[in-house]
Amino acid sequence: MADNNENQGFIKRFLALPTDSVPKTLFVAVALCLVASMIVSAAAVALRPQQAINALKDKQVNILQVAGIYDPNTDVIEAFGAFEPQVLELETGLFTDEFDIATFDDRKAADDPATSVALTDDPAGIGRQGKFVTVYLLRDDTGGVDKVILPIHGYGLWSTLYGFIALEENGNDIFGLQFYEHAETPGLGAEVDNPRWKALWSGKKLADDNGDLQISVTKAVPAAGEEYHVDALAGATLTTAGVHNLVNFWMGEAGYKPFLENLKAGGL
Amino acid sequence: MGLRNFFDRIEPHFLKGGKYEQYFPIYEMVESFLYTPKTVTTAAPHARSYVDMKRIMTYVVIATIPCILMALYNTGLQTNMAIAEFGANGWRAAIIETFGIGFNPSNPFANMMHGLLYFLPIYITTLVAGGIFEVIFATVRKHEVNEGFLVSSMLYALIVPATTPLWQVALGIIFGVVIGKEVFGGTGKNFLNPALTGRAFLYFAYPAQLSGDAVWVPVDGFTGATALAVSASDGVQELAARGMTWWDSFLGFVPGSMGETSTLACAIGLVFLLATKIANYRMVVGCLAGMIGFSLLLNWIGSDTNPMFAMPWYWHLVLGGYAFGLVFMVTEPVSGSHTNMGRYFYGALIGFMVVMIRVINPAFPEGMMLAILFGNVFAPLIDYFVVQANIKRRAKRHG
Amino acid sequence: MAQKRREMLIDPLVDNNPITLQVLGICSALAVTSSLQVAFVMSIAVTFVTAFSSMFISIIRNHIPGSIRIIVQMVIIASLVILVDQVLKAYAFEISKTLSVFVGLIITNCIVMGRAEAFAMKNPPLDSFIDGVGNGLGYGLILMLVGIIRELFGSGSLFGITILETVNNGGWYVPNGLLLLPPSAFFIIGLLIWAFRAWKPEQVEEREFKIQNVEAH
Repeated sequence: MADNNENQGFIKRFLALPTDSVPKTLFVAVALCLVASMIVSAAAVALRPQQAINALKDKQVNILQVAGIYDPNTDVIEAFGAFEPQVLELETGLFTDEFDIATFDDRKAADDPATSVALTDDPAGIGRQGKFVTVYLLRDDTGGVDKVILPIHGYGLWSTLYGFIALEENGNDIFGLQFYEHAETPGLGAEVDNPRWKALWSGKKLADDNGDLQISVTKAVPAAGEEYHVDALAGATLTTAGVHNLVNFWMGEAGYKPFLENLKAGGL
Repeated sequence: MGLRNFFDRIEPHFLKGGKYEQYFPIYEMVESFLYTPKTVTTAAPHARSYVDMKRIMTYVVIATIPCILMALYNTGLQTNMAIAEFGANGWRAAIIETFGIGFNPSNPFANMMHGLLYFLPIYITTLVAGGIFEVIFATVRKHEVNEGFLVSSMLYALIVPATTPLWQVALGIIFGVVIGKEVFGGTGKNFLNPALTGRAFLYFAYPAQLSGDAVWVPVDGFTGATALAVSASDGVQELAARGMTWWDSFLGFVPGSMGETSTLACAIGLVFLLATKIANYRMVVGCLAGMIGFSLLLNWIGSDTNPMFAMPWYWHLVLGGYAFGLVFMVTEPVSGSHTNMGRYFYGALIGFMVVMIRVINPAFPEGMMLAILFGNVFAPLIDYFVVQANIKRRAKRHG
Repeated sequence: MAQKRREMLIDPLVDNNPITLQVLGICSALAVTSSLQVAFVMSIAVTFVTAFSSMFISIIRNHIPGSIRIIVQMVIIASLVILVDQVLKAYAFEISKTLSVFVGLIITNCIVMGRAEAFAMKNPPLDSFIDGVGNGLGYGLILMLVGIIRELFGSGSLFGITILETVNNGGWYVPNGLLLLPPSAFFIIGLLIWAFRAWKPEQVEEREFKIQNVEAH
């Protein structure tokens, strides 16, 4: 009690000082900083778990959406449990357990010279490409691969578009495509988010029977035929070209081709 | 003289204290459109010479006549050529068939008529929609509706693509008149070109209808990129491969906004405006110098990835809206610089910006509209520096 | 007294609106008004920060040394803003993603600082709190108006619910792309100020200069 009284007296003594005196100024500054920092750090610590869950959910929702099983009413984390995340080595097209899947960060890996390569032939406009990426597998009841969800990104008009492409188990039929981050022109390039345009991707094929990559995003239907063609976004020539290039890049030799070969051969 | 008597008879009703006092601006508009205005400008910023505003504006409208004729002919020509491939439909085709004019692209009369059917609805919409707002403001603000609007609406109608939906045409000119002019106090006090303000509004609001490859020729299914879009993606040499020659562009037989395609028609207008001293040659010289200088510099720098760097200045001159903008918008006296020295800089800034936007900005293949609006915004600043420099020089001279 | 407090709350809505009359806080009004939902959350966040920062500053107003006055205000405002940001990230992640830096930039929103300096430093806590709420709501009102115009005509919806079916989705409405770009908020705020001042002419400022009439020669 005595201690407490003394303390109060201490604070009171400071409060009684003339407001513009040096000790009072110092006292107010220190006290305010203490209180403010305590409130801020308490909030940050208390809310961090919830925020981490949100950030994770956000990414998972995108994966669920591109896989076509997103339902806003069900729990995201639970629904996401159906997916099997794997770190893929692009060059060999095989999964690797070199990294911890829970902490592996695709974007950091793509910036790190140890785990990435600088591209000389760079149609997607991404500069450096990571050697490892996180992919997601959706298995059917028998344990075979049902769908694979692969991250893709590339430059559009104003920004890098980040997204996922979902392929059927044959590694050639597209199930869906979705971008989760971009800054394209609203109403034009940003129409990559339009559900009607995204729906166009479903059922298209990447490569023809000879294994040549034919998928295109253009205004005119190419010679290869309608099943390899997605209509361009109206009025967004450069965003469309960007999407075309990035899909072709990631589905080609430098991208997922080795992995898709393995997928076709089976046994993943 | 019956008409004059009629005006004299009804005039008292519109004067102060008359029955229709608040409608004076409308009376004045009709009357001064038909006759010489009784009052000529006496106040800044127009009190510069004996030339009254009506004469300036009438001369500008006269100067656009070659462009209008080319607009009619070329719109019809492009349409008829496309129709040969894709077939005709719509009410215009019905009218043309009714009169038995036909769609033969080598028949100039058929081309003119078809062009007229595209130009006229757009022009009438512009006049009606913009005119209504002009009259509203004139009535509320108690200033007269002046002939400046005739110029703005004519220029505006010439710089939109033939396919623009009429409701968008109307929205654009209303925006141009209200935001580009009336909020600043009406003609003479606007610092932006109203026609371009309207066009820029449309460009950003409805890009799908105002840009791209499908909008320049009004036939369903036909897509024809403008020469600028082709050069932006494939380089100038590709133009020849697509059958677009420099002479075609100079004469105006290429797809584009209706009145902008023909450099020759603009040049005729320019000669007329310079001869009548409506247009100030300093702005024209500055704008040409800025464009030629900067495009030569870019030619010299060169670029492996951007084919536009290599575009020579004589192509810049004939493509897109450069010539039209140079003749009718850069020289517009109200929104440009007002000092003689400033006019050179003002022109050069626009010339520089147009090449800059065309070549270096990936999103906009055409830059004349934005360059001129940019110049408009900077014109007062340029004037300020010119005046300050003058003051300094004189202060030095007189110690 | 109750009358005075009610005025404090109502006055900033129209008669002394922070955006249309004082022309403060324009930056965020441009950035966050392309969708109504975001504008709504932003309004609440600003109202919260303005109200509580004013109240806290008012509580300790007699102990704030003049020399570090602004810093003290900034620290209080900044702490509240971080608090709001953290809460949004935890409980409204989608919206906080769209608001991104603009929540953090509430710190620099002139309205908050302006009320702290102009009102809370001289008035008791409850009044300051009410004043803060009033000004936050005044800001919010304009944000909502701009948001309604931009979202309705720019994307054909309100609060994400489709009102005008757009052409891209098979409807009839051609959305106005300009309204989705930040500069359109300039026009809309300008037009709102025009409308407000036409309604309440006493808000019109004195002319700084007049274009002179030159005598006819």
